[in-house]
Amino acid sequence: MASGKVLYPLYQLGNPQLRIFRPNFFMTLVRPGVPQPDDTVQFRISMQMTRVDVKNYLEKIYNVPVSVVRTRIQYGANNKRNHKNQKVKKPDYKVAYVQLGQGQTFQFPNLFPEKEETPEPGSVEDIQKQFMENERQRQTADPRRGGVTDWFGL
Amino acid sequence: MAAHKGWRLVRQSCRLLHTELSAAPQPPSPLYPPVVASHTAKSKSAKRRRLEYFYQQVQEAPSIAEKLRLYGRLQRLKYVVYPQTFSLNADRWYQSFTKTVFVPGLPPAGAEPAGPGVPDLSELRSLACDALLQEHFYQRKRERPFLYREQQHVPAPFLTQLVISLTAALGSRNPLLATSCLDLKPQVNFYWERGETVVCRGYRTGRIDPVRFQIDDNPQIQIRVPRQLPEFVPLEYSVPGEVPVINHKPDKLPLFKRQYDNKIFIGSKVADPCSYGHTQFHLIPDKLKRERLLKANLADQIEVTYRANGIASLFAWTAAQAMYQGFWCEADVTRPFVSQAVITDGKYFAFFCYQLNTLALTVQADQNNPRKNICWGTESKPLYEAVEGNNVKGFNDEILLQLVQFLLNRPEQL
Repeated sequence: MASGKVLYPLYQLGNPQLRIFRPNFFMTLVRPGVPQPDDTVQFRISMQMTRVDVKNYLEKIYNVPVSVVRTRIQYGANNKRNHKNQKVKKPDYKVAYVQLGQGQTFQFPNLFPEKEETPEPGSVEDIQKQFMENERQRQTADPRRGGVTDWFGL
Repeated sequence: MAAHKGWRLVRQSCRLLHTELSAAPQPPSPLYPPVVASHTAKSKSAKRRRLEYFYQQVQEAPSIAEKLRLYGRLQRLKYVVYPQTFSLNADRWYQSFTKTVFVPGLPPAGAEPAGPGVPDLSELRSLACDALLQEHFYQRKRERPFLYREQQHVPAPFLTQLVISLTAALGSRNPLLATSCLDLKPQVNFYWERGETVVCRGYRTGRIDPVRFQIDDNPQIQIRVPRQLPEFVPLEYSVPGEVPVINHKPDKLPLFKRQYDNKIFIGSKVADPCSYGHTQFHLIPDKLKRERLLKANLADQIEVTYRANGIASLFAWTAAQAMYQGFWCEADVTRPFVSQAVITDGKYFAFFCYQLNTLALTVQADQNNPRKNICWGTESKPLYEAVEGNNVKGFNDEILLQLVQFLLNRPEQL
């Protein structure tokens, strides 16, 4: 199997099964835009792949048990225009929704977790941060006044 | 004299006072019409008023047919639920759509039935073996079955013949069967609403809409009776089990939407006297056969197909029966509706019993509704091991006994 324009040999009744040992396909695991059930994994695959190809690919190469695969083609819009006012097409792509077998689940991981930055004591960032905090505290009103402004009174 | 006149005057005035008192408590007729929310505004109170008016119209419908017509008058996009589906784990999704608790096994057998005990199985066994051998061996079927028509070739006529002969043989023991109606490939339809969602496309974008479902089912055979079967458990019984809650849209099942006629049908029209259900017999289609699922590495989905079929078909049938009696989601059932089903693929049989305790599945009606529908179901077991030539090897009497007990089920007064 290969992506791009490839002519597959015609199958006639009695031929042996077509076997490909080094496929030219690549699959991209993506984070689903809409929340999917726990056993569903979303891939972007080549336009020439079929759901049977996806199932065999995952089972034979990656040993992932697959129950069912559903595919759809996402049309890339052709509305944007470049500086020459020509229409610029976003490429079409095929999406596969793979439901895992044997009760397995998958959740797309959070690749960029927010880190709490704790600067080392004595470094430049630490002094800067402390200075900014002091400034902010000086600007805020005295909490003992209970929100009352200070342009009248003592 | 003056005293008498005064007394007479006092008495007359007393009478006048009494008449005024009897007239005074009546409130004066209202000068202005009642202040209610608008009927056509784009506001929540107007929507509520239109809903109230709709509920009132359905409630006051003069006949059942008119009530069904008004209930399903508005057509919108709805999810079409197929009882016989290839979707994975469809039984959990269907339980959440129909608020059903699935209890493995069969319902607790009530007090001993009033009729005679276990019937003679040898006669019924010979009837079953006759039907089996007729289709598998004796009848020479010249045409090979076309693609995906194998179930119609042998198992379908076998099932039909089996049910017809068993029903006829047991008619003497169960007088309800004698007055029953047997349908071949009837239609069973039901339309309901459950849950709410936001409309995402079209001119109604942003509005909150109920999620609509429709089941269009075609059981192989169906037995309808004029009297309701007895309940398995009381109406307010708290079942040990939970209705699965699934927080995804039904599209992920996958389930697809269509807009067409909202039909509610039990197999016969409203005027038919046999308006209660007894037993349904379903045949698993070719695409969901055991061998195909095993080849596709989906062995755990074999039982799921039976369960999903049982839950969806029986819910549709019992709920349609309830609507034929005048109940609907705003007027919940006052007595449980009970039906049975046998689902088979020709060799393996699975038995299901369903008790409908509540029709109130919409968001508004379900707020304080502790009742849940209950579905009991067994695993699929083979009726026979193999058919070799002239005889049947390994006939399983338990399955036949269970089938006979299903057919002999009847209300106590009969």
